[in-house]
Formats: sequence, structure tokens, C-alpha cells
Amino acid sequence: MIRRYALAFGAVVLALSLAIAAAACGGSDDGGSEEGTGTVSVLSLWGGSEQEAFQKVLTQFTKETGIKTKYESARDFLPVVRSRLAAGNPPMVAIIPRPGIVADLANQGSLVSLEELGLDPEKINANYSDAWTNLTTVDGTVYGVVAKANSKSVIWYSPADKAVKTTQTWDELQSLTDDLATSSPIKPWSLGAKDSWTLTDWFENVYARTAGPDKYNQLFTGEIPFTDPTVKNALEMMSKMLNDKTVAGGIDGALGTGFVDGIGKVFSANPSAHMYMEGGFVGGITLADVNPNVKPGESIDFYPFVTIDEAQGQPLVGGGDITAAFVNNTDVAKLVEYLASPEAGTIWVSTGAIVSPNKGVTPDAYPNELVKKEAEQITSAETFVFDGSDLLPGALGEDWGTLLQTVLKDPSKVDSQLETFQQQAQDAFAG
Amino acid sequence: MSSGTVAPGTVVAKPPGRRLAALREGGWQALPFLAPALILVFFFLIVPVIWTVLLSVNKTRGLNFGTEWVGLDNYERLLTRDSRFLNRDEFPWSGALVNNIRWLIVYPILCLLLGLITAVLATRVRYEAAFKAIIFVPMAISATAVGVIWLLVYSPDPDIGVVNALVAGAGGEPVSWLGRADLANYAIILAYVWASTGFVMVVLSAALKGISQEVIEAARTDGATEWDIFRRIQFPLLSLPIAVVAVWMIINVIKVFDIVYIMTKGGPGGATRVIAYSYYVETFENGLGGYGASVAVVMLVLIIPVMIWQIRRFRSEAVVS
Amino acid sequence: MTTAAETERIAVRPRESVSTRVVGFLGRSPVHIALIVLAGLWLVPTVGLLVTSFRPRPDIASSGWWTAFTNADFTLKNYDLVLNGNHMSSSFVNSALIAIPSTLLPLFIGSMAAYAFSWIRFPFRDTIFLSIVALMVVPVQAAFVPILVEFQDLGEFLTGTKTAITGWYFGIWIAHTVFALPFCIFLLRNFFITLPRDLIEAARVDGASNWKIFRSIVLPLSVPALASFGIFQFLWVWNDLLTALVFIQESDQWPMTIRISQLLSTYGVEYHLLSAGAFLLMAVPLLVFFALQRYFVQGLLAGSVK
Repeated sequence: MIRRYALAFGAVVLALSLAIAAAACGGSDDGGSEEGTGTVSVLSLWGGSEQEAFQKVLTQFTKETGIKTKYESARDFLPVVRSRLAAGNPPMVAIIPRPGIVADLANQGSLVSLEELGLDPEKINANYSDAWTNLTTVDGTVYGVVAKANSKSVIWYSPADKAVKTTQTWDELQSLTDDLATSSPIKPWSLGAKDSWTLTDWFENVYARTAGPDKYNQLFTGEIPFTDPTVKNALEMMSKMLNDKTVAGGIDGALGTGFVDGIGKVFSANPSAHMYMEGGFVGGITLADVNPNVKPGESIDFYPFVTIDEAQGQPLVGGGDITAAFVNNTDVAKLVEYLASPEAGTIWVSTGAIVSPNKGVTPDAYPNELVKKEAEQITSAETFVFDGSDLLPGALGEDWGTLLQTVLKDPSKVDSQLETFQQQAQDAFAG
Repeated sequence: MSSGTVAPGTVVAKPPGRRLAALREGGWQALPFLAPALILVFFFLIVPVIWTVLLSVNKTRGLNFGTEWVGLDNYERLLTRDSRFLNRDEFPWSGALVNNIRWLIVYPILCLLLGLITAVLATRVRYEAAFKAIIFVPMAISATAVGVIWLLVYSPDPDIGVVNALVAGAGGEPVSWLGRADLANYAIILAYVWASTGFVMVVLSAALKGISQEVIEAARTDGATEWDIFRRIQFPLLSLPIAVVAVWMIINVIKVFDIVYIMTKGGPGGATRVIAYSYYVETFENGLGGYGASVAVVMLVLIIPVMIWQIRRFRSEAVVS
Repeated sequence: MTTAAETERIAVRPRESVSTRVVGFLGRSPVHIALIVLAGLWLVPTVGLLVTSFRPRPDIASSGWWTAFTNADFTLKNYDLVLNGNHMSSSFVNSALIAIPSTLLPLFIGSMAAYAFSWIRFPFRDTIFLSIVALMVVPVQAAFVPILVEFQDLGEFLTGTKTAITGWYFGIWIAHTVFALPFCIFLLRNFFITLPRDLIEAARVDGASNWKIFRSIVLPLSVPALASFGIFQFLWVWNDLLTALVFIQESDQWPMTIRISQLLSTYGVEYHLLSAGAFLLMAVPLLVFFALQRYFVQGLLAGSVK
């Protein structure tokens, strides 16, 4: 018995040693498209109504191709993807919420390009304008397709709320805010600042309209430093609009309020604020998850973020999620191709959950006024800038949001905060 | 000390010749008993820890090894240029490391104080068992559930959170306990104290029970007050158990993660990050394998004094027994 | 107003008249008040969660749980929602699937090693044992990433697929086992060496093998220590979030702790789902606590070194 035991023991030691030796040498890629297994796993961060909408697209895909899909939702998208990559168990396809991450993962060799999947990048990109295809292209190689688009330059309000009127310029918006702060029993603004990306969206809108789209792109790609005076200027304007007097619950309260709870402060049965500035997706989430009783056009509506400097116009800040593949097989290729098709886009937009950047999706595919209006805003925008914090590399996007939280709470810290952040930005841009 | 009759557990240096003798006498039989444990511990604990140390001095590609040796760059960045980890630009210092120190001071003191009070008071009443059960029960609950329980307690809405209901009832403005950078750390620490006090109480109460009742009675007849009894008799005898729970709490603090992840995710503005949270963010959120590894090594270094203390304690106990 | 029973009780303690008892009670009343206040403080958060979990969603948002006592309107809908609409029932099973093997494996492997450390003499025994004691407090973070990579390579080496270990519960079983082993060996070895030496020597003289001694003498005599460790480890794993975040990779294998953290971040703070979910998570540890209180406390006391 002992001898057999010793033998097994030896075998295990050998196996482990070999495995570790293999690990130390680094894994190897086995190139070439393999035959699919009949099931494709898809990971994204959508839950609730957003997940249901996407599921409809997947169901249609299965109906047409016979390939099953396994949808997984992880709110903590990045940690899940990274730990699964480390374990050699990545999802086959993922919908990546930040283009900055696409470049990051592509540079690490984790993503499979369209070409490797056996797809024609030119053909797929033909349905998208350059603004979008730039997001999926890393050093000339195309790594996926833009799954959905959204406008982030939108102010939400209730037309039924007589105290609020739509505004055109920053000055008008500021004076409306000041009026409401003194005359209304509830506050002018709601903020979901516990989710710091709501603040980065605010900043981006103000910055793109004060410093202009060119400087905007330079700032978020590391060409000009965050200590540039234009940044401080935009932050000061933000603080004038959003402070303890104008935000529901004060800044402290806002910092303890998440994005969805922030919507609730305006559109629940019992509102505590008049207006909310966030992306076009607010409408879908309100109808599905916050208050099903609101009526688009009557008790919920939006208008474009105001002009600040006439010369800079109204650049549209937009966001988008990117479909990318981690595993190379024929089923995965079929799914990526399907998701880039106008047909998939049409099914998806018909749920009211998203706006598609796909040119093949016609306006009449949108089920309600809110999304139709958002789609128009996106397609008709003269200048388009991409959500800057989503472009920042690595941890910087997260850290930028953290800085905004700190500065909003205590505007006097703005200089020291920007200085420290610039140091971190240098490290991050240097890679 | 002749072979075969050595008291088990005795730690004594043996002359080298003995080792061979022990093997010949059947020491090889230990192998099948030890092998599974030693293989697992070696390959999945010792090797990974060394690996992590190596990762921390490497320029990594995602979470995998890169080829470039970067020396102590990661540590330099972590300790001098990462304001989320350690920010020394303004006083008071801030960052994850400072938060852990904050935890290290507040959490043990509150736990010990409350544990001591409850232990001493509980022995004086007949419903001792029931009372202790109430204080102890939170120990059984996962930090995840503790986090949810206290999210509810701290809710900024006075119609949801009991604390703000009291504040509003007293005519105050509701406080966003977890939304304020200056309060959030203490709010989380308090929740964790709530969960841990029961443990301290049980250890100290067991120690108190070990003190001879006759001595206390004798002191009482001599006219000693209850306070004298506590201060002169009970407290001095509690020093060893207090040391034991203190070490337990220090380990807890260095490793604290779950409750922060649930309650604030390190926010607002990174104000409640702790070392273990920084590790998680750098490694799994930002995908910086080497940088995350350097955070893990900092944790390891912080825990080494505890490790040494434990080995010392164990050795002395073993020799005594 | 003295009943017969009370008279009897007083009669049993003749020296303690009613008045002295009253005086005694009043004299100690600060103690009673302090204890009752403390007990109240400790109970309120949990009671709040429990009450909230049974309240309808609109009530939770519009009025505090404490008003539910005067205005009772309770429902099981939250539990229905969280169990059937949010995968909590399958997560409950997952938690058990993770926790039970993660308890039995270290118990088995660790007790064998502890036996060798206590009753077999072999070279470097004390050195190896002390090294294991030292490993007890190593932060698990220092091992996460390498273990993931090792699992990937070991899986590929043994079966040809990288996901053989990490694609299922194997990964987390091994991880929890490894993290628990040093403490398990330490605890059990300290118990094993207190077993009567004569008994084991006698069995040796009778020609019993080590395996037989281990199985039929040491294990049966060590049930309290095994139970203490088992309970400690089961609760540790059941309550764990961090290790699961790293080693459980696919959402249909998520334990309850991860599921709850997801509920938390999906739609802001939805207390009706969170409270019901958290209470389900707590139910098992509470059950263990009340059923096995003695072992439970012992296990935790012993766990103070981890």
C-alpha cells in the first residue's frame, strides 16, 4: 500500500512541478480559428432591464444559427474579466464598457482581432462612422464592434414640473438653478455622485464646451497636463452649479447616493430634486426600474446640455460599449458578426434600452420618443467627443472620478488634487 | 529524553545523528500522512508567496510575468507617488495605509473597552448566558451581512436609517455617515466593532471566570469596593488574554476587506480604502499584476511581527507543557 | 400578593428577606440598566434587518422599520423575489457546494498531518511544524494571482483544458483547503498531543499500524477538536467573500456573498432584496450557532490565532 502511495505521490509532485515550470515560461497561444463548441458565453455588466433587452438579441441569434449563448452579468466587470484571464477561463465574448480597457487588453494580447476571427474588418466597419471605429482600433488592428452608443450630454426633467423650464445657455441654467435653490422647497439638482462616473460626465460636458473638443482630446490622451488652467476653470464652474445649496442632500448626501438612486430623487413618486444630468439611458432605467408610472414626454423628458461658449458650440459627449472576443472559434465569430449586423441592432433598439451607432438601423426602429430623440442627437451631432474618463488608461479613469468627488466636496483642494493627479497620470500614460 | 519517550510536542535541538536514527526507527512512515498537506502547502502557498514577491519587482503584462526587471520601482511609486495608498502632501496624511493605521488604533481600543465592560458586567447577573449570546451572535454573521445590516442603520434617509431617524427626531439634519470622507471610516469601523466585541467578551470572560472566587470574596470581606476588585485583582490577570485578542484584532485589521467592499467600495473619493482593498483594485480592477503584488508584499511585511510573536508564544508554550 | 411558590422560594433562602433582595436589586440596578441598554444596542441593527426583510417595498422606502410594530403589514414577497427572481436559491446551494468540501478536505488532510506531527518521530519535525505555524497568518492576497495561474497550467497539464480546475468548484476547494491547512494542523496537533500516551504505545506494541492508530484511536478521541475546527472552517468559508470573488469565475457558481454584493451595486440600494438576501445568508450561521453553541465558541476561540 505504501509503495503505491509513494508512486502516486511522486506523480503528483511531478505534475505540479511541470505545471509550474510551464507557468513560469508563460502560456502559449494556439492560433487559428477552432471549431466552436455550440455555446458562446457572453459577459457584460448589464443587469435588470438592460440585460433583458440584450437577451432578446441573443435569443434571435440562437434561433438563426442554432448556437446557444450563456449570458453572464457581473457588475464588477473588470475584476471578473481579469481574474478569469489569469485563470485561463475568460468569457468567449465580452461587452467592454470602456474603450480605454480595449486598448489595455489588446496590448496584453488578451483579445482576438476581427481578422483572426476570420471576419472582414472593412465590411463590418462600413456600418459605423469613424468616430466609432476609432474606438475599436488599436494600432491599426480592429478588435471588435461598437455594441451600443449613448449620449451623455443630456439634462433630464419632468415637463409636468412647472418650476423647471428648458434652457439654452449656461447662464440661463445657472440663474434657473439659483432661482430654484431659493424659491423651491426641493433642490434644483440631483446627483448620484457615489458612482463617480456621473461626475466625470458632468466635467466632460463642461470642459468640452469651455476648452473645446481639441483640447478635450489632448487632455484625455495625455498631451496636455491636468494642471492646465482650463481644467481648474471647468471645475470651478461645476462647483458653482453643484454645491450644498443646489444639490439634494447637499454634497455629502450626493456622495452617498448611487446613480440609480439619484434618478429616483427626480422621478420617484416623491421627488426631492428638479433636474438630473446623465446619459440617454436614464429614460430606459427610469421606466423599467425606478418608476414605471412616468410618461415619456409628459413626466419625463430631456434637452441637450446647454451651450457655454458660443465659439465651442455644443460638442456631444458620448459613450459606448464594445463587443470583443477573448476566444477564437467559429461560433464566436458568428456572434460578433451578428451583433454588428443592422438586424441585431434593430431588435436591440426596439426594446428602448439602447441607441445603436449602426447606420443600418433606421429611426422608426425606436419604440419611444425618448430614445428616438437621443438617436437623433447622436447622429446629428456636429462634433462628437468620447467619454474622456473611459479613454484614460488603467486606474486613471477611476482616480479621476475620485478627484472630482473630493473637489466637489471641498473646492479649495482643487490645486493640490490636480497636481497629485497629474503625477499619477504621467505614470499611467507612460504605461 | 531517550528515543521513543520524548514528550510529544517538545521542541528541543537534537544532535544530527539522531535524525538518521529517527528515520530508521520508522520516521519514513510519516511521509504518507504528511505528503498531501505538505504538497498542497508547498505548491499553493509557499511557491505563490515567492512568486508574488518576484512579481512585485517585475514589469508585468496584465497579471502575468513580463520579462523586465524593474527592481523596487513599484514600491517607490506605491509609497511616494500613489496618493490613494499613502498621501503625505498635506497633514493629516491620508490614503489606504493611513486608514489601516486608523483602524489599528480605533478598532482594538473600542473592542477591548466594550468587550471588557460586557464581560465584567455580565458575570454579575443571572441572565449572563442570554446576554452573552446577544453580544456574541454577530460573530457568526458574515462581513457581507454585517455590511448590509449597517448600510441600513446608516442610511442617509431618516425614514430608513435608524441613526438618522434619531438625529432627525432630535431636530438635527440627517448625516450622510458613509458619504462623508471624515466620518465614513469610523462608521465602518463601528460596524466591525459591533461584530467583533462578542469575541473579545467571551475570551475575557473565560479568563475572569478562571480567577478564584475565594480571592474575590476575601477581598470583599476586607472591605474592597467592586472597582478595587476589578482594578487590583481582575485586570492584572487579564493581561495575557488581552494580548491574545489584541493580536487577533491586529490580524483582522491588516486583512480587512469584505466589509469595506460591501459598504463603500473604498469611497467616497477613495477615503475608506484599506490596504487589502488597494490590492484588489490594483490587481483585479486595474490589471496591474506587479503593482498589486507590491501591495500584497506590504501586507506580508506588516504581518511578519505577528508571525514572529506567534512562533515565540508557541515555542514557549511547547517548552512549558 | 405572595403566591405559594414565591413563599417557598423565599423560604429556601431564609437569610434573604424580600427587603434585602429589593435593596440588592436596586443597588445593582445600574448594572442591569447598562446591560439592558447594551443588549438593546446590539440587537437593534439585526432586528432592523429582519423586520425590513418582511416589509413591502413601498413601506420600506416611505417609513422606518420601527413603525412596522404599530402598523403591521408583513409579506414574504421579498424572499420570493430574491430566491426566485435573483438566483439566490441557486446561490444558496452554491454556498453549500463550496463550503462543505472546503471544510472536509482540510479536516481530513490536516488531521493526518497533525497525527504525524504528534505521534511519529521524523527528521526536522519541529522545524517543519514551526514553519507551518508561521504560514498561519500569511495574507491570502499574497497567493491569489500565482494560484490562479497554477490552476490554469495544472488543468491544462492534467486534462488538456485550461479551465479544468477553475471552471468549476475545484479551484476554490483547493484554495480554501490550502489557506486553512496551517491553522488546522496547528489546532489538531495541539489537541492530539494531549491524548493518553499509554493508549497509543499499547496499540503500537500490539502491532497496530500508524494508519490504524490514527483511525481507530486518535480520530474517535478527538471529536471535540475536529468539530471545533470543522465548524470554524465551515462558517469561515460560508461567510467568505474575497476568496470567492477571485476563485469563483462564472456567475452560475456564485455563492450568496457575491450575489448579495451584486444586488448592492445593480440598482442602488434596494433594501427589500438586500435585507431578505442578507438574512438568508445569515440563517445558516445562526442555526449553527444556536445548535452547536459550545463547539462554535470553542472553534472561534481556537481560531483567534488565524
